[in-house]
Amino acid sequence: MAADTVSVPFDVYRFQPGKDARPRYQRYTLDLAPHTPILTGLLQIRDEIDPTLGLRYSCRSAICGSCAMQINSKSRLACETQVGPELERHGRIVVEPMRNQPVLRDLVVDQSPFWREYNKIEPHLKLDPRRPMPAGQPTAMTPAQVERFKETPRCIACAACYSACPAAEVDPEFPGPMALAKLYRFVVDPRDTAHQERLVRIQPNGLWLCLRCHLCTEACPKDVRPSERIRDLKEMAIAVQGATELGSRHAVGFKENLKGAGQINEMKLVRATFGLTGMVGQIGQGIRVWRKKPEIMKKPRKIEGMDELDKIYAALDPPAKEEP
Amino acid sequence: MLRHEVVVVGAGLAGQRAALAAVEAGRDVAIVTKLHPLRSHSGAAQGGINAAIGPNDSIDAHTYDTVKGSDYLGDQDAIEFFCREAGPTVIEMEHFGTIFSRAEDGTLAQRPFGGAGFPRTVYAADRTGLALLQGLWERLGSERFTLYEEWELLRIVVREGRVQGIIALDRRTGEFQEVAAKAVIIATGGAGRIYGRTTNAHSCTGDGMAVAYRAGAFLKDMEFVQFHPTALLEGGILVTEGARGEGGILKNAVGERFMSKYAPKVLELASRDVVARAITTEILEGRGFQGPYGPFVTLELMHLGKEKIESRLQEICDLCRSFAGMDPVTTPIPISPAQHYMMGGVGTNIPGETNIPGLYAAGEAACVSIHGANRLGGNSLMETLVFGKSTGAAAAAYAEKAPTTSMTPSELDPVTSTYRAWSERKEGEDPSTLRTELQQTMDRYVNIFRNEADLAEGLRRVRAIKERFSRVHVVDQSKVFNLNLSDAIETEHMIDLAEVIIVGAYARLESRGAHFRTDFPKRDDAKWMKHTLAQRTPTGPTLSYSPVAYTHWEPKERVY
Repeated sequence: MAADTVSVPFDVYRFQPGKDARPRYQRYTLDLAPHTPILTGLLQIRDEIDPTLGLRYSCRSAICGSCAMQINSKSRLACETQVGPELERHGRIVVEPMRNQPVLRDLVVDQSPFWREYNKIEPHLKLDPRRPMPAGQPTAMTPAQVERFKETPRCIACAACYSACPAAEVDPEFPGPMALAKLYRFVVDPRDTAHQERLVRIQPNGLWLCLRCHLCTEACPKDVRPSERIRDLKEMAIAVQGATELGSRHAVGFKENLKGAGQINEMKLVRATFGLTGMVGQIGQGIRVWRKKPEIMKKPRKIEGMDELDKIYAALDPPAKEEP
Repeated sequence: MLRHEVVVVGAGLAGQRAALAAVEAGRDVAIVTKLHPLRSHSGAAQGGINAAIGPNDSIDAHTYDTVKGSDYLGDQDAIEFFCREAGPTVIEMEHFGTIFSRAEDGTLAQRPFGGAGFPRTVYAADRTGLALLQGLWERLGSERFTLYEEWELLRIVVREGRVQGIIALDRRTGEFQEVAAKAVIIATGGAGRIYGRTTNAHSCTGDGMAVAYRAGAFLKDMEFVQFHPTALLEGGILVTEGARGEGGILKNAVGERFMSKYAPKVLELASRDVVARAITTEILEGRGFQGPYGPFVTLELMHLGKEKIESRLQEICDLCRSFAGMDPVTTPIPISPAQHYMMGGVGTNIPGETNIPGLYAAGEAACVSIHGANRLGGNSLMETLVFGKSTGAAAAAYAEKAPTTSMTPSELDPVTSTYRAWSERKEGEDPSTLRTELQQTMDRYVNIFRNEADLAEGLRRVRAIKERFSRVHVVDQSKVFNLNLSDAIETEHMIDLAEVIIVGAYARLESRGAHFRTDFPKRDDAKWMKHTLAQRTPTGPTLSYSPVAYTHWEPKERVY
């Protein structure tokens, strides 16, 4: 080894369902240069110590999306994560399979939940026979249209975002960050003729289940920023259809609600979200909240610095957005 | 036993395009791939795809550049077909949904590439392969076909003089699967992992080439191995030719822009074989930098400015920053040549037919040949689509008329018993050790500059590895995702292909394109303007030769 090496302890998740009673962590120690990719370390383990370690990998240059895994509890590509910084921060390298997808063996997961959601958004151009593509010519695109493709085409479908997503964990019906970012890619595509239909369809089918935690954007190795694309979809969906879903009514209601006092008026928000009749179904929850924290049910007082909040609102409410 | 009319092996661009053509022809199509289709190595192509659609460009100019680039070993009829189809193919891919980079006026942007007289290379930043792979998968995804994902090709079954189907290993279950098929299309890509230093993915192990060879297909022009001039020093990660197309320059350790000595007219934009030899010569003559990972020269982009580098070469920026810990906006990139592409492959014609009825090949796994002795950058992505389509259509037409095929236990049983024996041994040779030794042998003896003594020694070593492989031992006893078994299977493929490459290179007593013999430094058209055909025998490959198809492009001395 040409560069200075350090001793690197890997604790690798080992599990084969149906064969092993439970998962275990196996310790392998390698001498590696600090900038060695984790994937290189894992392949060295396979070649030199233990050929039975299961993992997916291919391009080793962050473009095929095969080697996403949990590295010290973060969803990362093993090929572009170096051992040095991980070792400094954590003292060892814990390698586990991605989350939200069942384990097949060791670090290999069954990605069918991820691909199922991808397929559900109908990831192909929807064309209108009355609007054929220009014969013998590429479609013309304005610089503004091209600009909207800035992030999403970089997606390598590695599923790091899906693994990091708490909404996908609790709700198997949530499409997940990648599928929604892919949906955005089609909604902003000037060649696609089903923008409105796509936005209307996704509203009751998981768009509003996103928790806005931004863990997907943190996990994404290609800077697709899925949570920002989901936000864009929400805005476009409201622009097309108005606030018709629980989620969109809650979002719009929340925004309007704060305007009065700078604090949430809970009663008003529940009404904005569920409607007057829908509030009946929330009575039980209301009573539980009232018992715990009665002050929450009162009309809030105006906060100090309300003028600052007004300024924020003025900046946030730009003139109407261009239709997609 | 499963049954389909057309089975496509490999799901990169060539395989997907072939599958689409066969589906559109109304056939029952299955795709067998050892990766998810979107993880295919086509997606790693960076710089672009060539089509003469610019206002001053012409199909003739593209044809001439390709014939010259091939060092006159390309088949001119195939190249003419290829260049004619290139324009409509780019437009078709745009209509399928591919997101290309655009010029200010909204038309498709094109950048200059090596060996090309015009800015002919359509691109999507520096991830053109990924953009095409996404666009094609999105288009194909709305059609009906069967996908066998993470299945590995083991055998092509040939009986009664024609293809009967394939045998594959399902990695997820460890089961051996028989698929009867009237037509089989090999689209498994290249075999770069025969070398240690390669830009290719770990999965590029030449499975289809090796299995077709074992089934009796000719391998053509295998000695022509392309080395990409600019691979990132560490591990040989690709740095696109687009970096030079956008204006990047090469410098040696004494600060010279050395390409002026080797290609005074076009400098860094000479053909890849020329640039790779120039860099290697600079290093061999002591004008390289010395680093902990070997000698190198530098690729400078700094003068292009931060904005251009970060927008047009976004992936390169990220790769340099996260893999090499350096920033191309402020620092020269340390590069040296690495194996990149196999000009050779399963011998085919324009419709992708091989010498075995029912067996077809397309893409890097095939050799039509349009690349001859040296491929131009930007021509391989186009090849996958043009010949993927022609091959898929031809295989579909064949399958429509061909009689029903069948698989018998006499075909599966020897396959399962072979692999079982590897696992049942108590001791033996470790597949990854053999693979590493094979890679070291090819890196050392069958590289950019070749000579008789090196090739003879390389062949001796490869044959010794082959002999040891007969005692290969698979330690992993598990059925699910047994990569130890996959390592052994792939290593066996690569040993066969390495042998064919060396035997072909040893026999070819001239220098042409990427095949450079220091003991025969001149091209010899009188004796060697012919394709090498290798066919398998129990003792190794036997060679024969076939003429190059000629239309009207006269061989000339090749200068850039």
